[in-house]
Amino acid sequence: MGLSGAPTLSGSQRYGSGAMRSRVNWALLGLVIQRASYGYELVHRFERTYGKTLELSSPSHIYGALNALVKHELIEKVSGEEFGLDAGHPKPHYRATARGATAYEQWLVCQVQQERTRSRLFAEQLTVLEPQRALRVLARCEEAFLKQASAASPERTANQAPDDQAGRLTDLLVSEEQRLTAGARLAWIEYARDVLQALAARRSEEP
Amino acid sequence: MSVLELENVTRSVGRGAREHVVLRDVSLRLDAGELVAVWGVRHSGRSMLLRVAAGIEPTDSGVVRFNGRALSPDSGEMLGKGIAYCRNAASGAEADGVLDELVLSQLARGVSRRPARTCALAALERVGAERCGAHAVHELDGADTARVRIAVALVAAPSLLLIEDPTSGVDLLERDAILALLRSLADEGLAVLMSAGQATALSGADRALSLTKGVLRGSVVPELAPVLPLRARAQN
Repeated sequence: MGLSGAPTLSGSQRYGSGAMRSRVNWALLGLVIQRASYGYELVHRFERTYGKTLELSSPSHIYGALNALVKHELIEKVSGEEFGLDAGHPKPHYRATARGATAYEQWLVCQVQQERTRSRLFAEQLTVLEPQRALRVLARCEEAFLKQASAASPERTANQAPDDQAGRLTDLLVSEEQRLTAGARLAWIEYARDVLQALAARRSEEP
Repeated sequence: MSVLELENVTRSVGRGAREHVVLRDVSLRLDAGELVAVWGVRHSGRSMLLRVAAGIEPTDSGVVRFNGRALSPDSGEMLGKGIAYCRNAASGAEADGVLDELVLSQLARGVSRRPARTCALAALERVGAERCGAHAVHELDGADTARVRIAVALVAAPSLLLIEDPTSGVDLLERDAILALLRSLADEGLAVLMSAGQATALSGADRALSLTKGVLRGSVVPELAPVLPLRARAQN
């Protein structure tokens, strides 16, 4: 399946229900794709990169995840010497396979699809409520989205071209994504409010 | 005392079957040093809200107060005397260049030429548009136009700035610089009320509100109650 086509299988479906359901494993695969390395360095890079979003139970979590990735042939273990390290530093290194690089991209695309499932679920859960209650929930969501849109600080992004400093590029991308989604959701709330108000009006007319 | 206060303001336009309510029982308070952004789609009433706040549009009911004093509606009496209103369009067709326009707008208020020029240069510097002084407004790009619009407002030393869609037509990477400029003006004590057609322009606002079919929602009063002087608190 190429990236151009709509993905039909999520990463976890494709790789069975076991280890590859773990978000830590996929996140780690990304780091190995970024740069081949050894376990200890990956633990630190993991914490630097994902410290705000993913929690490791312990450093050994990473070693277990590396084994799972090797088992699925998404990464491979190579000796330190193959990396041009001298015999005194024979640390095994991990590098991504072509299969791992492709699987990672597919998994990322699938994440966006899951977003759609989440918004469907939200609409389903909202519409089981009476229109008046649903409208109250919408009003509170609207406040949250307004806060989300105003929370991004323009000073931080103003006049600074994105660079690839650790975290900065991520911050820029996340801040813009949050502002844009907040905008889309505000517009959606306006629509949902219209529909629910019309429904509430019709129900109040019914005997 | 709030710089701007709207109390139960309602405004309709059109007549008979074509009448529609543009602002519906809108209340809003804005303090010095606050940046408040109102998000709304087109025809939500966001421009009308600013025009009513500027005192250049009548209301059907309700009161607009500036520094505690009720504005006589539709008079524009405080424009240039504390209230600055920036429309979403550049003016200046009759001026030779941006600097010239900034000077002329002050001469019209009775300021003499030399202080007017000093003030105009300072305003251009404050908004980061020194390089635009000799250009005509139509020669500027989106971001510089936005900066110049703000400079035009600043030469009148307002305490309330009402600005329509400050980032409309501004390049994506320049957009946040304009928002940061407005934020910094508020941090210096100016009360800023801006409208936004895009939610991305709500960044950095102290309060973001939404306006839908004339209904204003969100935190319509400052979130922190004004701190009372010590003596008043003791009496309470």
